[in-house]
Amino acid sequence: MFNPTPRVQVPSVAAKGETFQVKALMSHQMETGLRRDPKGDVIPRKIINKFACRYNDIVVFGVDLHEAMAANPYIEFYLRATESGQLEFIWEEDGGHTYALTHQLTVG
Amino acid sequence: MVEETNTASFTRRAVLTAAAAAGGGLAGGVFISPLDASDSDDDVAIIKQLTGKTPVGSDRVHLVMPRTFPNGYTVPLSFEIDSPMTEADHVRHVRVFAPRNPLIEVARFYFVPRRSEPRVSTRIRLAGPQDVLVVAEMNDGALLMTKTWVEVATNGCA
Repeated sequence: MFNPTPRVQVPSVAAKGETFQVKALMSHQMETGLRRDPKGDVIPRKIINKFACRYNDIVVFGVDLHEAMAANPYIEFYLRATESGQLEFIWEEDGGHTYALTHQLTVG
Repeated sequence: MVEETNTASFTRRAVLTAAAAAGGGLAGGVFISPLDASDSDDDVAIIKQLTGKTPVGSDRVHLVMPRTFPNGYTVPLSFEIDSPMTEADHVRHVRVFAPRNPLIEVARFYFVPRRSEPRVSTRIRLAGPQDVLVVAEMNDGALLMTKTWVEVATNGCA
């Protein structure tokens, strides 16, 4: 929670044309901006507001997240294995900070 | 590929006030079951207000959520749309709405023909028991929707 950590589960090898599953998890508080602290002041909103998956630099899947996405956002999605290359997963937080992971995929 | 996002969060009060004002004139004199019709009308009115277009219920859109769930903080949600994802017939994006949450739009998922499947599992917050709406925008601009009722025991938004 204190140090948002991204994690991805994705296969390293896939058959050409096959659909493979990606599970992306970010440990993040996802402060909604609707809670109050013990003093009564509103705790400011701070959430992951965007997620994108790039496959050899082409964005193949994206998400705009709003306050109602749960804490520690979990996104499971499915991609077609078109060619070997690099998968990049990017999360963007309120304020512009980004977290990224890359993964090599071999498509036979 | 990713469209410009609408940064204004639609509060429930703003949307429902406008929807009620717009839809108030239609109800008089029509013989329909009050509970079902008003729920569906509200949901369709909300989507119409948020997207500018009228959605059509479709069984190509599958939404799976638990009927009841002990807390509203992390409710599982899965959707899948039947589509070949070719250039001629694909899903552009899917929006998830929770009309009884303080902020109605939950998320928007973008897909690319031939690259990603219109199928996602995730977890969302719900403020209370409500219909969760899933609206898919197709490449021809049509909005296909479905919904399911979820009974959560606690408010996940506060």
